[in-house]
Amino acid sequence: MEATIDVTGLRKRFGSTVALDGMTFSVRPGQVTGFVGPNGAGKSTTMRVILSLDSADEGSALVGGQPYHRLRHPLHHVGALLDAGALHPARSGRNHLLWLAHSQGLGTRRVDAVLEQVGLAKAARRRAGGYSLGMRQRLGIAAALLGDPPVLMLDEPFNGLDPEGIVWIRGFLRALAAEGRAVLVSSHLMSELQDSASHLVVVGRGRVVADTSVQALIAAASGDRVTVRTTARTEAMTVLARSGATVTVTDRDTITASGLPAGRIVGLLNEAAVPFSEISSHRATLEEAYMELTRDAVEYRAAPLAANREEAAR
Amino acid sequence: MTATVTSYRSTVETGRAGFGQVLRAEWTKFRTVRGWLVATAVAVLVMIVLGWLTGAGSHSSYNSGPGTPDIVGHPYVPIGPGGEAVQDRFSFVHRTLDGDGSLTVRVTSLTGAQVHPGPDPSGPGQSRPAPVQPWAKAGLIVKESTQQGSAYAAIVVTGGHGVRMQYNFTGDKAGPTGSVSAGAPRWLRLTRTGDTLTGYASTDGTVWTTVGSVRLAGLPATVQAGLFAASPSQENVTQHLGGGGRVTGGPSRLTAGFDNLDVSGGFAAGDWAGTAVGGDGTAGLDERTGFMQYGDRVSLTGSGDIAPDVTGSGDAMEQTLAGVFGTLTVMVVLGVLFVTGEYRRGMIRTSLAATPRRGGVLAAKAVVIGAVTFVAGLVAAAVTVPLAEHILRTNGNFIYPVSGLAQARVIVGTAALLAVAAVLALAVGTILRRSAGAVATVILLIVLPYILATAGVLPPEPSRWLLRLTPAAGFAIQQSLPAYPQLSRAFTPAFGFYPLAPWAGFAVLCGWAGLALAAAGYLLRRRDV
Amino acid sequence: MRTALHAEWTKLRTVPGPCALLSGAVLLTVALSALVAAATTCATPGCARDLDTVKLSLSGVQLGQAVVAVLAVLAVGGEYSTGMIRTTLTAMPRRAAVLAAKAATVTGLVLVAGTVAVLGCVLAGRLILPGNGLTAAPGYPPLSLADGPTLRAAGGSVLYLALIGLLSLSVATIVRESAAAIGLVLGLLYLFPILLHVVTDPGWQRRLQQIAPSSAGLAIQATVGVHDLPIGPWAGLGVLAGWAAGALLAGALLLRLRDC
Repeated sequence: MEATIDVTGLRKRFGSTVALDGMTFSVRPGQVTGFVGPNGAGKSTTMRVILSLDSADEGSALVGGQPYHRLRHPLHHVGALLDAGALHPARSGRNHLLWLAHSQGLGTRRVDAVLEQVGLAKAARRRAGGYSLGMRQRLGIAAALLGDPPVLMLDEPFNGLDPEGIVWIRGFLRALAAEGRAVLVSSHLMSELQDSASHLVVVGRGRVVADTSVQALIAAASGDRVTVRTTARTEAMTVLARSGATVTVTDRDTITASGLPAGRIVGLLNEAAVPFSEISSHRATLEEAYMELTRDAVEYRAAPLAANREEAAR
Repeated sequence: MTATVTSYRSTVETGRAGFGQVLRAEWTKFRTVRGWLVATAVAVLVMIVLGWLTGAGSHSSYNSGPGTPDIVGHPYVPIGPGGEAVQDRFSFVHRTLDGDGSLTVRVTSLTGAQVHPGPDPSGPGQSRPAPVQPWAKAGLIVKESTQQGSAYAAIVVTGGHGVRMQYNFTGDKAGPTGSVSAGAPRWLRLTRTGDTLTGYASTDGTVWTTVGSVRLAGLPATVQAGLFAASPSQENVTQHLGGGGRVTGGPSRLTAGFDNLDVSGGFAAGDWAGTAVGGDGTAGLDERTGFMQYGDRVSLTGSGDIAPDVTGSGDAMEQTLAGVFGTLTVMVVLGVLFVTGEYRRGMIRTSLAATPRRGGVLAAKAVVIGAVTFVAGLVAAAVTVPLAEHILRTNGNFIYPVSGLAQARVIVGTAALLAVAAVLALAVGTILRRSAGAVATVILLIVLPYILATAGVLPPEPSRWLLRLTPAAGFAIQQSLPAYPQLSRAFTPAFGFYPLAPWAGFAVLCGWAGLALAAAGYLLRRRDV
Repeated sequence: MRTALHAEWTKLRTVPGPCALLSGAVLLTVALSALVAAATTCATPGCARDLDTVKLSLSGVQLGQAVVAVLAVLAVGGEYSTGMIRTTLTAMPRRAAVLAAKAATVTGLVLVAGTVAVLGCVLAGRLILPGNGLTAAPGYPPLSLADGPTLRAAGGSVLYLALIGLLSLSVATIVRESAAAIGLVLGLLYLFPILLHVVTDPGWQRRLQQIAPSSAGLAIQATVGVHDLPIGPWAGLGVLAGWAAGALLAGALLLRLRDC
């Protein structure tokens, strides 16, 4: 089976709320694909539709070219971690994996193997109700790995992990992808994906805002903005604007030009003998790029601080 | 750019996939929550403890007369040829018959009377004229001996049910209808050929209709044959709210007038002897106690009944199983939690992602909870019945004997009833997805109709309808004693008699569970989780 | 305490469940009473002595009590199942006060709903029974709250429902799991009457009727043969109150002692 997820034109509404609005993207093997977007953007719904847990009003979601509910041994094809807290507290972690294994015709050997793989072998026989959030995440990842599937889908796996856990999971995900698996990891924080994902699907309000590699996204967000520090602000602006750049004043002695590469700006300014002390081309962080993309897609946003104060004063 | 990457190939061998695997997974789920295993054990214990309580809380004693001390125990209950408890008390005028023979008689009158206790409670009491009891009967009888409970066949006229051919207490065949009076007498004939007895009836003594023919296997060659009369006690049943029923009434008498008595075949020579079968055995029947002969005419007065005994003398075996309601409550809670627990924690998503065939998950859950409950119920009932019966007997109670088959049906049926109730609980839990609401719904559906019907809250007819239509109909499987139509008893739910046959009642419960399961399956497949 | 009360009231008011359950309790109680009244006839003259028309008309309480139990159990069990109990106890660290506020809120609501339900039952009995031959002639005057025993039975039934609510709430606090709590309460309510049916020893029967929460509590509804009852009406209600108080005390103690 190809290790792929293909989501095409998913639409779904809950009453008057549009949850998915033509969601379309693909996940390819050999890389970690980040699935990012603000809360309520439709990430979890999409994952549930991929797993045939929710039905879409329109569109299709295929895993390795097949709808999930047609798979005979689903956990051999897709491993998923949706909610690490979805455990019976009185059942031990090992027994939780055991019933899951039995449902796929697997035995205790495989259970012990994945427990070892996620480093949970010691705590496996304790009640899952007593696990820390981090242990639950590890148990959830173990459950996803149970069938040794070529496709992995993890919903917010970084939630509740300590820094050490985050480092572990990043490495783990990269290693899994390196084996040729397709790994889809959702998060609402871009920073969590910074070092692990190589491809990104950014969503907002139920549709894909960007489907691109990390480098391309950063480049796009950086644009071709160049900051020029100069004492002769007006002259510089005139020169650059005449050559087709869009110029804005950023500060008393800085302007920002876009539409021209940095080298060309240096040339133009030298030609016109406009003095400048610094020219820097701007490079956005992943976080900034993400904010840029999802600015219009945020569902719940904190009110500006002033408004908050006003509210409190009432 | 990523086109060159080859997809990962799993190194883990693919296991078998099918319903068996889903079943195994659900069983693993059940057995790995210790609280559920403990609850199952508690369910078993509840039935046993309540059975013990039933036994310990029921004492029986009697005395043989005023002034004599109470004895722990119960008055003698005769046992019929079929092993069932019977009433066998009647006035018998008989001669010994050896081999084949035939009796013919004309019944000319039936007169009823109600007996009121006299000033001396042990005395004969005063009788006042009263209508003939519908099941008061007189006629011809061939009986193995004058011992209570011995085999017999009889052709009888009754107060309200026409001519009947009755045999061995439980057998009853209807003949011509109509009552007997001086203007409309009834001829009866009973013939014996080997162990076959045939009853005939006639209005004129010349044209005869066969009412019935029965084979009494093992009937000895020498038997007692003759006339008899019996009249069962009158029963008025009143029901109290929440307090069961009360039976009032008292013994009744029937006086039958006969003439044209004619016998042929192997009758021994000599006079007709009168015996009060089931009396104290010392006195025969004479003119004072109701046997009179004037030439061809015979007048015979009798009280009592020749019929099966199913109420009043003791306890039915299913009474030891009252704890089934405790077990039911625990297993209903478990059945509901088995699915709502998954909804509450979101684990249902893990389950349905692992097994996208949702109907299969529900079916597997039903099989697991049903099987666990069945086994628990079987263990509980199989322990409770003998234990409680032992205590009941020690406390002097009579327990109605029932056949091994009926006993097995009650015990296995109790387990099956619990299992189906647990499956119903699972289905309702799947539909409602809320624990408390589902538990309350199922318990109310099963237990409330039962209480309303049996605790005397409702009159008998609405009670019967409740036990036909609601899941409580399933308790019919626990009824060990049949409601014989030839008894004028109050066979109402308040006395433990169900309107539906055992398996029919159980089928009603199964129908509810099936419908709920179908609805649950439909919703589970349709709904997002 | 006032703020705790206000908070609990807001909690119950702002979810749709309690309101639906209370309406359900009223509806089911009146419906069952009306059905029982409609099914009761005076066909034989013999019934003239024995029928307790007041108790008959109030038999819907047998069903209503279960809905009240669900409501009360959910008021506590719901918090445990969602983990909201931690929020509650963080906001109001005096745990006994929280339980008291919860109990007061639930009791108040049940008293209101119970009054409506019982009035409905009495009205149903008054309207339906005469149509079935249970008129003043054979000794059944139309139900009226002006009649002392009828008023006691009706008012007592409202109190009975409130006490069932209190008992259920306490049991839920003790076991902290809705499903188990509701099973326990319904078992307690319905198991005793069934057991009474099979125990034949009059002494045992009396004793069971005296200690069973539902059998003793419902003695408050009797208006015929009150002197023959194993336990008097008010004493019976007192037994139920004892059960409720004991459970509440145990619940409060456990709530205080246990980690949540």
